[in-house]
Amino acid sequence: MSRFSRAFVLLACAGVLTAGAWKYSFAGEEAAPRIKEYTPNISSQEYEKRYNAVYGKSTEKMAEEGNPADFMLDDGKDLFGKAEGSAGKSCASCHGANGEKLKGVAATFPKYDPAINGINTVALQINRCRQEHMGAAPLKYETYDQLALELYVKSLSNGVPIKVSIDGPAKPFYEAGKAYYYKRHGQFNFSCAICHVKYAGHMMRANLLSSNRHHADHWPAYRLDWGAAGSFQKRFRGCNKNVRQEVLPFQCETYRDLELYLTYQANGLPIQVPGFKM
Amino acid sequence: MRTSNIVALGFALILFSLPGAVLAKGNAENGKKIVESRSLGNCAACHVVPGMEFPGDVGPDLAKSMEGYTERDRDTVRQWVWDARQFNPDTIMPPFGPNKLLTKEQVDDVVEYLFSIKKKN
Ligand code: HEC
Ligand code: HEC
Repeated sequence: MSRFSRAFVLLACAGVLTAGAWKYSFAGEEAAPRIKEYTPNISSQEYEKRYNAVYGKSTEKMAEEGNPADFMLDDGKDLFGKAEGSAGKSCASCHGANGEKLKGVAATFPKYDPAINGINTVALQINRCRQEHMGAAPLKYETYDQLALELYVKSLSNGVPIKVSIDGPAKPFYEAGKAYYYKRHGQFNFSCAICHVKYAGHMMRANLLSSNRHHADHWPAYRLDWGAAGSFQKRFRGCNKNVRQEVLPFQCETYRDLELYLTYQANGLPIQVPGFKM
Repeated sequence: MRTSNIVALGFALILFSLPGAVLAKGNAENGKKIVESRSLGNCAACHVVPGMEFPGDVGPDLAKSMEGYTERDRDTVRQWVWDARQFNPDTIMPPFGPNKLLTKEQVDDVVEYLFSIKKKN
């Protein structure tokens, strides 16, 4: 091959590659059906059985000692009633002294919101309320007050079955979340799905790989491993880090799409916050 | 620079296409360390490995798997460790070679170790 023809082949390859990337980034819905979803490795009942066999003793002990995040929940309730910002309002000014008007609402989150042309989460909505209705600064994600408020708002839906919609305009965002969940990346070339769907119920070293059906119903949660409470998205970042993938910012579009994807998997399960995990 | 790269690539290609028997022998003792190390092979995350506590059950028991291989399959075993996608495109096993989790020498050492646990069993 001459130098010229070699260069030409290289250019042609590069062209095909960029065209591919272009198509992928602009035709989310079209690209999506290429994902072959795994059938879950085990049923919910079988997973519970294995969970109790592996962690039963520690879970019992944790139940006896009580969830440290219960205190955070109380603080969240106080913050809910506290006026902040230039409008002199609190969350309670609009949503009722005990959050009556928000009962069951968190069970429908995350959800599509045309105002942001994307997926709205409870954490994001709290900050939007602060900025748009209270004239207050947004709370920094994962700070104590931010988590406490999110926890309290979600607790107003405790016991209510999760019911998120992926119809209509929500669909492409759901598909984007699924695409991320199935995408192989990072140095180990893992996807979320390979561990939490295909091999759910297997032991990875001393860890029972959990089934993603049960991921969305208990966050924010207190984790012994963190020695603190944290959000669902903090847990995403933990797994990203453990498997040497890029860690993304809280409430970025990808994590909100991912949260929608995972919460949809938990549809029908009652919300139970704060969770208490190892 | 360019030419030396191409020459090196050529060498690598020749090396990989040689029959197993001529492949560089590794160091089993070192291989054992790599297999057991959490930051290198961490093979027990998924496989039963002799002498390792709390192994995973994602992949097969490595000593049992090795029963199915003879010295003639050295290259196949090496390819499994180097890049398991060659055998199963949707494998969970990380591509240790291409993703630079292990060097060529380290993979040779791991393979030597795998053959050593075969002898013991
Ligand atoms: C190599 C395996 C592996 C990969 C890949 C992986 N995880 Fe995990 N994940 C674990 C293990 C181990 C745990 C801790 C035990 C458990 O709950 O499954 C865990 C826990 C979790 C939990 C907490 C479960 C709970 O109790 O709520 C969430 C949520 C989670 N992972 C999400 C993800 C997401 C999202 C991704 C991809 C960005 C991902 N994981 C990738 C292994 C993995
Ligand atoms: C994250 C999981 C995982 C890790 C880590 C892993 N493997 Fe594997 N390995 C597998 C699975 C699963 C298979 C079975 C084939 C398949 O499904 O792709 C396999 C297959 C193999 C095979 C072929 C076995 C046979 O029966 O032919 C060998 C050899 C092997 N692994 C060696 C290793 C070594 C050595 C390491 C560490 C350097 C390692 N593996 C790390 C998951 C893993």
